[in-house]
Amino acid sequence: MAVLEVDHLVKRYRRGPRANDGVTLRAEEGEVLGLLGHNGAGKTTLINQVVGLARPTSGTIRLAGGDPVADPASARAACALMPQSQVPLDGITPRQAVETTARIRGAPRQRARARTGDLLAALDIEEWADTAGEHLSGGVRRLTAFAMTAAEPGRLVIMDEPTNDVDPVRRRLLWAQVRALAAGGRAVLLVTHNVAEAERSADRLAVMDSGRVVAEGTPAGLRAGVAGDLRLDLLMADADAPEVAFAGAGRPHRVGRRIIVPLPADAADAALACAQRLRAAGRIEEFALTPVSLEDVYIGLVGGGSEEGHHGALAA
Amino acid sequence: MAHWLRSYALLLKWNVLGLRLMLPFFVAVQVVLSVGIVVGFSFLVPDLDRTAALYLSTGAPTVNLVLVGMVLTPNGISTKKQTGAFDHQRALPVPRLALLAADTTLWIAAAVPGVVAGLGVAVLRFDISLTIGWTAVPALLLVALTCTTLGYALAYTATPMVTALVAQMVVFFTLMFSPINFPADRLPEWFQAVHAVLPFAPMAQAVRESLAVPPGGPAVLPFAVLAAYCALGFAVSYAAMLRRP
Repeated sequence: MAVLEVDHLVKRYRRGPRANDGVTLRAEEGEVLGLLGHNGAGKTTLINQVVGLARPTSGTIRLAGGDPVADPASARAACALMPQSQVPLDGITPRQAVETTARIRGAPRQRARARTGDLLAALDIEEWADTAGEHLSGGVRRLTAFAMTAAEPGRLVIMDEPTNDVDPVRRRLLWAQVRALAAGGRAVLLVTHNVAEAERSADRLAVMDSGRVVAEGTPAGLRAGVAGDLRLDLLMADADAPEVAFAGAGRPHRVGRRIIVPLPADAADAALACAQRLRAAGRIEEFALTPVSLEDVYIGLVGGGSEEGHHGALAA
Repeated sequence: MAHWLRSYALLLKWNVLGLRLMLPFFVAVQVVLSVGIVVGFSFLVPDLDRTAALYLSTGAPTVNLVLVGMVLTPNGISTKKQTGAFDHQRALPVPRLALLAADTTLWIAAAVPGVVAGLGVAVLRFDISLTIGWTAVPALLLVALTCTTLGYALAYTATPMVTALVAQMVVFFTLMFSPINFPADRLPEWFQAVHAVLPFAPMAQAVRESLAVPPGGPAVLPFAVLAAYCALGFAVSYAAMLRRP
């Protein structure tokens, strides 16, 4: 059953471009929907409309059977939001923050206390449970914000870049809790720039660009939709780019000293032969033939501007 | 109603926890300011007659409430806007009015020690006896509410930079150029006309006539003017709270 249904949503700010330009998407019960997109793609604008902090220009939103536009209070009750910015915790300990938020969201005292203890343990931050917010590291504050959101989550949980500043070990603990939320019958909307994490954690992905959803599907489905199954990655020996020509080669693009060529699986032999020839001639230093990653798909979808710029942004 | 009260109590708890470290500092500054106005102005005016003493004693709590409501409160809201606490609280499933009420309660409570200390020191310093009427608490509360709702309206509608600047102006204007600590007839006529439409003179009058009740009882008009300003501040704050761009 769909918890969130967004239909042809348009949001235009005064004197601004269309931040959302006809967004349509659904998030089902028990599913983690990853929302990918660059800065300015319209993700935060979409979230603000879902939680009733902004009003759409046109289009409809249904959240847990209610209408956030007509009744923002019911939307806020049905949905818990973990914003991208740090939640201010000065003077407040993680235990107080999580427990109080759970109670504000309607949990009785006993349940709020129990759930807080469980979450702090599951995220392995009990050590700092009673330390005031101003003495906590960015990662622990981020995990606290996650726990505040997950403590009494409602039907839809929205998380904007939940793993920023979080160490790799606790990231896994966080993802386990995200999966647990979905397993408990909630829909989870996960907003991120991090393609690799989205690929591992989300059941379905929606890619946004310039205010629109430009692709939607499972990670495997999105990968299958792209031209070429493999990519040949060449590192140039000098500034002079060699010509990369073999049967089945896609359009090459250059990223600094790297040349990337998409190709279908049956062109692998020809690609290898071409690469070895170029290396023997001293035109390239090294090469690699790898399966297309979701990151390649993502860049293909939202590309435009300089290739180098996009790669740089993703690598950063 | 139960949801409202529960939200209010939990938000108030959150605010108290969040300001726990700063609160003693705020209160100390309030007390020093309040006492400072009484003592400091008596240096400026060496031979205080009874009228001047009365204005200074009853002006101190008014200035104190103006500073809390129109300087500390808007700066507090600006900080909340900048740290993200404002949007975070707005995204919670709580009545918008409970958010407003929880903030207001904290700031007004923080002003109480300063008001009491200022009055106490004034009575001792000038050796005057006040005749405190039943309107004293309502008057102080109305002034406090008017100042905080106007302070909110400012912070909600202006950028943090503009808010800080206007708050600075308010401090200067109330201390030096408002008929709070001295009678209005000492001001030039055109300036008296300005004060006829601003809320500062009615604030001072309502508090003064409630703490030293004149024979005919306190005038009603200042209370009415303040109620109107309070309603205006509240309406703007509430609209800003509900606003969805």
